[in-house]
Amino acid sequence: MISLTINGLPVAVEEGSTVLEAARFLGFPIPTLCHMEGLSPYGACRLCVVEIGEGPKARLVSSCTFPAQEGLVVRTASERVLRARRMVIELLLASCPQSKTIQDLAAKHGVHRQRFRQEHEDCILCGRCVRMCEEQMMAKAIGFRGRGDRRSIGTPFDEKSEVCRLCGGCMYVCPVCELRCTYSEPDKVVCGGCANLSPPCIEKDKFHDMMCFLDPCVACEIEKD
Amino acid sequence: MSKLSSPGDLSALRRTLVAARDPNKPGLVVCAGTACQASGSSQIVLAAKKHLLERNLLKRVSLRVTGCHGFCEMGPFVLTQPQNAFYAQVKAGDVPRLIDALLAGTYVEELLYRDPSTGVRYRNRDEIPFFKQQQRAVLGSNEKIDPTRIWDCIANDGYLGLERALGHVDRSWVVEEVKRSGLRGRGGAGFPTGRKWELLAERKDRAAKVLVCNADEGDPGAYMDRSILEGNPHSIIEGMLIGAYGTGATQGFVYVRDEYPIAIRHLEIALDQAREVGLLGQDILGAGFSFDIKVAKGAGAFVCGEETALIRSIEGKVGEPRQRPPFPVERGVWGQPTAINNVETWANVPIIFRLGAEAYAKVGTKNNAGTKVFSLVGKIKNTGLVEIPLGVSIGDVVMKIGGGSPSGAKIKAVQTGGPSGGCIPASRFDLSIDYESLGAAGSIMGSGGMIVMDENTCMVDVAKYFMNFLRSESCGKCLTCRKGTQRMHEILEDIASGKGTLAHIDLLEELAQVVKDTTMCGLGQTAANPVLSTLRYYRHEYERHVVDKRCDAFVCEELVGAPCQSACPVGTEAWRYVALLEQGKLEEAYKVIRASNPFPSICARVCDRKCEQRCRLGASGEKPVAVRALKRFVVDRVDPSCYRPPVRLRVADQKVASVAVVGAGPAGLTAANELALFGHRVTVFEADDHPGGMLLSAIPPYRLPRDVLQKEIDAILKNVEVKCGARLGRDLTIDELLAEGYQAVFLAMGAHRSARLGLSGEDVAGVISSLDFLRAFNLDRRVLARGRVGIVGGGNSAVDAARVALRCDGVESVTLLYRRTRQEMPAYAEEIEAAIEEGVQLQTLVSPVALASREAKLTGVRCIKNTLGDFDGSGRRKPVPIAGSEFDLDLDTLIVATGETPDIDYLPDMAVPVDKAGRLVADVATGATRRPGVFCGGDVLSGPNTVIDAIAAGQRAARAIHRYVQGQDTREVAEPRRPSVYVPAPGGNGADGAMPRLHHRLQPLDVRKSSFVEAELGPTEEEARREARRCLRCDLKFTQPAQAAKEEQR
Repeated sequence: MISLTINGLPVAVEEGSTVLEAARFLGFPIPTLCHMEGLSPYGACRLCVVEIGEGPKARLVSSCTFPAQEGLVVRTASERVLRARRMVIELLLASCPQSKTIQDLAAKHGVHRQRFRQEHEDCILCGRCVRMCEEQMMAKAIGFRGRGDRRSIGTPFDEKSEVCRLCGGCMYVCPVCELRCTYSEPDKVVCGGCANLSPPCIEKDKFHDMMCFLDPCVACEIEKD
Repeated sequence: MSKLSSPGDLSALRRTLVAARDPNKPGLVVCAGTACQASGSSQIVLAAKKHLLERNLLKRVSLRVTGCHGFCEMGPFVLTQPQNAFYAQVKAGDVPRLIDALLAGTYVEELLYRDPSTGVRYRNRDEIPFFKQQQRAVLGSNEKIDPTRIWDCIANDGYLGLERALGHVDRSWVVEEVKRSGLRGRGGAGFPTGRKWELLAERKDRAAKVLVCNADEGDPGAYMDRSILEGNPHSIIEGMLIGAYGTGATQGFVYVRDEYPIAIRHLEIALDQAREVGLLGQDILGAGFSFDIKVAKGAGAFVCGEETALIRSIEGKVGEPRQRPPFPVERGVWGQPTAINNVETWANVPIIFRLGAEAYAKVGTKNNAGTKVFSLVGKIKNTGLVEIPLGVSIGDVVMKIGGGSPSGAKIKAVQTGGPSGGCIPASRFDLSIDYESLGAAGSIMGSGGMIVMDENTCMVDVAKYFMNFLRSESCGKCLTCRKGTQRMHEILEDIASGKGTLAHIDLLEELAQVVKDTTMCGLGQTAANPVLSTLRYYRHEYERHVVDKRCDAFVCEELVGAPCQSACPVGTEAWRYVALLEQGKLEEAYKVIRASNPFPSICARVCDRKCEQRCRLGASGEKPVAVRALKRFVVDRVDPSCYRPPVRLRVADQKVASVAVVGAGPAGLTAANELALFGHRVTVFEADDHPGGMLLSAIPPYRLPRDVLQKEIDAILKNVEVKCGARLGRDLTIDELLAEGYQAVFLAMGAHRSARLGLSGEDVAGVISSLDFLRAFNLDRRVLARGRVGIVGGGNSAVDAARVALRCDGVESVTLLYRRTRQEMPAYAEEIEAAIEEGVQLQTLVSPVALASREAKLTGVRCIKNTLGDFDGSGRRKPVPIAGSEFDLDLDTLIVATGETPDIDYLPDMAVPVDKAGRLVADVATGATRRPGVFCGGDVLSGPNTVIDAIAAGQRAARAIHRYVQGQDTREVAEPRRPSVYVPAPGGNGADGAMPRLHHRLQPLDVRKSSFVEAELGPTEEEARREARRCLRCDLKFTQPAQAAKEEQR
């Protein structure tokens, strides 16, 4: 067992655990995007950064990939962590505003604007699909191509893959296209609507625990009437 | 060749090889590093071989083709032995002469290296400043070794370190020795090499241990690893062998990028030869250890220099970093324990064992032992590889070894550490080069790139360049690195193209900090350094880009437009009138000139020509277009009445005000003129009897004929009222002016207080200021100088005084005394030249230290000689007095021209604040002082300055005053000045910048020496038209696309 301190609380975890696992074991929330249980840690989205060490040597690391070490001191919500996290969300939002996951993250972390040139991409290159295909489906049909800002995910040379079984696992795990945010205010990139309001459809007296699953959610329209 | 089976065999072989050599045999050494091959060293080698064969000299002269010697600027070059003469930039045809001279024991003087700044030729290579200041422990062996011959290497102490290491049966001694040496990783991070080896040696895994040489050198402008691999690959092999012996590793890799074909070839030859003699393979030298090295070729991804990405790349996977820990020493290539060191680190290992750790550690400083190779590139005289002990100052490397700036432009910064590093400004050139100091200054040691930047380098552009590089070289795994570098590049693009705001800078800084904080690998963590370090030291440049929309280095195209136009303080469209002149449309050309400048004829004679200094033709190595001469051609031939000022339509609710202008110099008159055109009532108060200010009192008539001056002043006086003989502080006060109904006051009194020498006895007769001297002459034709005249100073005022004195009766001789050298004189070069031609004696590097007088009359000056010392913060070398070099100069008159300051002691009493240094406190952009309604401009605000700057200050203030009286914000929103009017490009032969520049013609010497007629002659029509055709027409890039679109619509 390895003992470390997270936000001042001591915790002992098994050797080989990550800092993320240790923090979640204690119940500290750390947002993640590229992390998924059952897939190997990857550390691409940098959303799960935490601060380790003390004094001038303190630094940020991705908790999903950083191994828990004896005596490690971790802070999961220091000012530095939150600032970095908000910038990560702002960067995500600038690229993929139509992802409900990202919009919800923005709302939750108080990111109310994005200041970069707006893009409308469908992929944040978190690599969940790639790892899903390789590690769970044993297919390796898709992978990363290119580097830098030309990096993309797809089959080799964009040819139809012979090993793909069309299982759909890649789409299932995608955090960006699983749910589309349908802007309540299309002129604004950050809507934050859904996460800021608790949807009226889960209020007991009105809907008897029923969720409508309408896509787009028309909750707001109902309330107006 | 039988294999060497013991260290004894190796040393016996070395002894045999050394004995077979004659150190005094004449020999030619030709560098065939990549840089020298590019500049033609292959031809030199061929020519040498041919000559040696034809003359049958093969037995008498040896020829060695080696790797890089470091002085790439001078390639291709030939080093002769044993003379050690360095022939620079040799051509194939020169080779026979060199060989003949070598055999005769003489030198070909004209081909010997000549120091461009001092003109001295050196016979001995080691005396050349570039080499003399270096300590070439690693690079030094390159010139002794033909890299394709292992014998050469062994004879020159190659594998001697290995031999010594194998002498110790206890392998841990090897690791301890490296630890004692204090060697730190030369790849940039500076991790102690011995510690790394120790960690590897301690591993008790079953898996075989691996050593890797990281030769994935990808920093732009850095090539020291390449030159070591090319020139001395055996040093790497030897270093790795010693490492293998010490750590128990059995497998080695050299990860080298495929773009280094010569390095790979030489390395592979070296590996084959080492295997052949038994230095690689099983049971090496009978010491019971086995080791072999493979070459792994990288495809050129920058990120593969990061060790975890490099490991993946060796394994055949995509080069993509992973989380550390586990570190490579725990889990490296194929999961085996691995130690990765940089090429230069490996090359240092044999030196440690050859010299002993103690001797090695003596070089450099305490925690930074040994030498480091830097590739010195950029705006520097001596481009090349330099090797210095750690702890030497940056300034020494840049100035002493690098030789300073090649163009004379001020060196601004050096960028160290490539894209991951940062910029260190010239003000911190005293910083010692070691891992800690560079880190504290916001940069890194890096692998050793050192890019020198001068004032023509825009720091925003530098950051943009590196961000563009990193954006495409990031592996793309981490969001913050992939998107962060892309977004930083976008923001920098916006700033560089004039779309930036202050919010852009804040966002950039915020993002850079997060990218640095959150990214996984070294590339990403340092990717923000170019931005952060430029922001740290050059934030004002960023702000200049976003607030004033100006790029002072004239690099960012969208902000510069046509450089001649944006360099001009009043924004004259120089390109436009030059183009119109070329078409013969002189009146139109005049209108263009006059539209932005109320004193065209004056500026055509005395302007300091910022347009020419920034002309692209000049920047590209040709002579700039002679813009001022062309302006002179136009204004001399066109009747000024053709220009009608634009009719400014009176806006219904525009307020008309009365404005008082104090001072009728160029700034005051310009402001008065502009304000009058806005429709305001203007009164100018002038202390002297005539309006004109410094134009009249300081500029001598042979530069600016009085009739030309008077005409342009008179033209302005048509619109404004002038009251002469009214001096602020004596005859009027600001309160009075405001009480009299003037809503605004513009102060433009100029700078009239002359600086003093600060020597005792300065008040005797015969010591006068240049202002007083020129003024007495220009206004009243009184001559205050007589006999032997000395002038102290190096500015235009000094040269003017000298040339006027020379023309005066009663003056016997004129001597100009300046404390620095002629290159540093601020006066215009052609004025200095004309002065010398006319007979002014110039004495440079002298300063007066005492005055001698008799009966309150000056009799002489005691001067001291100076030498140029260290570089000060401004990048200029300080004059340092040479003790005991005093000498006496007999003089009857000493004119002091060491600068002027405004004479404004009375202003604080008028509620206009003046700072501690006696300068007006005012907003430079508008001229607004702290007192509402009171503006200022010209020399009174800026200190002594040029005419055109005074005119510009007058215009700025006039616009600000106009807005002030309208009740608007005085600051205007800056817009980039881009060419907007399309003037077709010349047809026919078109532009030809390669034609010689217009020859600057003067009156015959005897006419000019004895009279005050205008010294400079204007160009003839043919000359002017030809000169105008030299213009590169930078404007077309901006105007042509719009024009083409317009024509398409039609």
